[in-house]
Amino acid sequence: MKKMQIFEPAMCCDTGLCGVSVDPELLRISTVLNTLKKNGVAVDRFNLSSAPMAFVNNKVINTFINEKGVEDLPAVLIDESIVIIGRYPTNEELVSLLEVPASYLTETKAAKQGGCCCSDGNCC
Amino acid sequence: MQVFDPNKITLTKYLFYTGKGGVGKTSVACATAVCLADSGKKILLVSTDPASNLQDVFHTTLSGKATPIAEVANLDVANLDPMQAAAEYRESVIAPYRGKLPESVLANMEEQLSGSCTVEIAAFNEFSNFITNKSLEQKYDHILFDTAPTGHTLRMLQLPSAWSNFISESTHGASCLGQLSGLESKKEMYKTAVETLTDGAQTTLILVTRPETTPLKEIERASRELAELGVLNQSLVINGVLADYDDTISKSLYDKQQKALADMPKLLQSIKAYMIPLRAYNITGMENVRSLLTKDNYVICGETIKAESIPHLQDVIDDLYHSGKKVIFTMGKGGVGKTTLAAAIALGLSEKGQKVHLTTTDPAAHLKFVLDENSSITMSHIDEHVELARYQNEILSKAQETMSEEDIAYIEEDLRSPCTQEIAVFRAFAEVVERAENEIVVIDTAPTGHTLLLLDSTLSYHKEVQRTQGDIPDSVRKLLPRLRSTETEVIIVALPEATPVYEALRLEEDLKRANIATKWWIVNSSLYHSKTTNRMLVAKASNEIPWINKIAKHTNSNFALIAWTADDIKGDKLREL
Repeated sequence: MKKMQIFEPAMCCDTGLCGVSVDPELLRISTVLNTLKKNGVAVDRFNLSSAPMAFVNNKVINTFINEKGVEDLPAVLIDESIVIIGRYPTNEELVSLLEVPASYLTETKAAKQGGCCCSDGNCC
Repeated sequence: MQVFDPNKITLTKYLFYTGKGGVGKTSVACATAVCLADSGKKILLVSTDPASNLQDVFHTTLSGKATPIAEVANLDVANLDPMQAAAEYRESVIAPYRGKLPESVLANMEEQLSGSCTVEIAAFNEFSNFITNKSLEQKYDHILFDTAPTGHTLRMLQLPSAWSNFISESTHGASCLGQLSGLESKKEMYKTAVETLTDGAQTTLILVTRPETTPLKEIERASRELAELGVLNQSLVINGVLADYDDTISKSLYDKQQKALADMPKLLQSIKAYMIPLRAYNITGMENVRSLLTKDNYVICGETIKAESIPHLQDVIDDLYHSGKKVIFTMGKGGVGKTTLAAAIALGLSEKGQKVHLTTTDPAAHLKFVLDENSSITMSHIDEHVELARYQNEILSKAQETMSEEDIAYIEEDLRSPCTQEIAVFRAFAEVVERAENEIVVIDTAPTGHTLLLLDSTLSYHKEVQRTQGDIPDSVRKLLPRLRSTETEVIIVALPEATPVYEALRLEEDLKRANIATKWWIVNSSLYHSKTTNRMLVAKASNEIPWINKIAKHTNSNFALIAWTADDIKGDKLREL
C-alpha cells in the first residue's frame, strides 16, 4: 500500500458544498476517500485555506506552487513525487496508485458486518 | 405604563436590545448606557450592526475594542464591524505565510477567506468573546448589546445553539467548517455563550418597539422565537409615545398610537412594559442622549426649505420607466419604509403596463400586508429556511442518482453547515434578479447591514465563480454584471433625521465602490408639510428642514419627499404617495 497526499486550492471544505457551485468531482473524491478511510487507507488532503502549513513544509509541493502557482492544483503525490496535476485521481487510478483491492472503494468492512454506525468499523 | 428608568429597574449583567429597524434600539441602548454610567456604574456598550450608528451618536471613532467615551465617565463603547472582524481574521491566518508562499497562492487563500460565511463566523467569534470573557465580566457592571435589526439579530442569537449542535453532531470530524479550522477549539466558548444567553439571572432581552402595529407584530415574533431558544427573561420598551394632543395632526397620531397599543399582540401583554415619550429632537450628541429618558426640549430650528420645487414619488417612477430600469432596489436603514416604497414603485410601474415582480430579501418583511398580487404584479419572499431546504434537496436528489446511502449521509452532514445557508440565500437572490430577463424586478431589501453582507458576498462569490469548475447556475454567473449594468438602480430611502441620513450616505458610498448605480433618494414620513400646530410636532417638523436641505444639495434635487400620514399605507393608498 502506498501513501497518497492530495494538495488542493483554497476551498471552504472537502466537499465544496458551501462554495459557490457544487462540483460533482469533489463530491466523488470526498466520499470515495471516506470509504477508503473506513477500510484503513488514509489519504491526506491539504487545502490552502485549512492547511497552508503543509504547502510550506512539504518540499515537493512547495517547489511546485512556487513555479506554477495555484492554477494547476490539485496535485496528487505518491510518496514524494507528483503523479497527477490539475485534477483528482479517478477511481481506477486510486486502486492502482494505492495498490489496494477495488472493493475498498465500494464497500466498507463495517457495511459487510451489517451496516453498523461506527466510523472505525467496529460494531457498537 | 411606567416610564423607562434604568436606575429604578433591577438589571442583569447582559442586556440585549432588539426590535424592528428604526424603532430606536440604538437610542435607547445609548441612553441606558449613559444613564447607568452617570450613576457610577462601569458600562460597556457593544454594537453588532455592520451599519452601526454609534460613531455618530458619540462623535467618537470606534473599533472592535472597547473605547472610552470622553464625555461620559465609566462608559466604554465597542463597535463590532463583522467585515472588519473578518478582515482581521483573514490577516491573522495569512500573515504567518507571507514570504513563505508565493503571492498568487496567498491571493487564493485570501479570496477563499472572503466569503460571507467567514464574515458571519468572525463576527460571531467576537460577539461570543464579549459574553464569555471573564475579565470583561469583572470589569463592567453591565454589558449592553445594541444588536442589529431583528432578522439579523435572530440569526446572530440563534448561532450559538446552531453552532454548538453542529459541532457536537459532526461525525466525520473536520466537516464543512471550512474557513475556521480553529473552530473546534472554541466549542467551550460557544457553549458558555449559549448558557449565558439563556440564563435569566444573567441576561435580559429588551424588546424595543414603537407604538405602531408593524413593529409590535415584529417584536412579538422576535419574542416568541427567542423564548423558544430559551431566552425567557424579556422586557418591553415602547419608544416614542405621544402623551397628549391639541390639534388634528397630533390627535390622529395619538389615536393611531393608542389603537396600536390597545391591539397589542397577546404574547406581549404578559411581558413587563415600559415607555419613553416621543421627543422633538434627534438623538445625537451627548445632551440629547442624556435627556432621552428624562426631558424634552422644544427647540425650533429657524432654517427654511431652499428647494423651489420638490419632486414627487411619481416623478421617480416616471424616470425609472423612461430610463428602462429592470432591476430596482429600495435600500436604507430599518424602519424608513423600504417595503412600502418598493410596493408603491412596483404598483406605479405596473400601471404603466409593465409586468413586475416584487420581492424582499428581508427575513422580517411582509409584502402581503402591503399589496395584493394581481395579473401584472407577482410577489415572492426569500426565506432563509426555505431556501436552505430547497438547496439541500436539490443536492441530495442529485447525489441519490449515483451514490450509496453512506456517501449520501456524508454529504448530508456537510449540508448542515451554517455556511450552506449563506450560499442557498445567495443563489435565491441571484435567481430573483435573473427574472429581469422577462420583467421588471423590484427588490425590497433588509436593513442596510444585512444588505451590505449580501452585496459583499456577491462580490467575493463573483471572484470564486470566475475560477471554479462545477456547474454554476447562469443566474449566479450573470448576477454581478447585471447589478453593475445600466439596467439596475438603487433607490435610497431615508427619513429627514440624522441617523437615517448618515446611514444612507455611507450606504451610497458602499454602492459606489461596488459600481452599483444610485440616483434618487426618497425622504419618507416628513412632518414638514403637515401644517401641525402642536408645539412638540412643530419643533420636530422644523428639525427636519436642515436634513431636507442637505439631501436636496447632496442629490442635486433628485429626491422625492413623502408626507407623514396617519393611515397605514397599503393597497390603494400606495397610489396616493
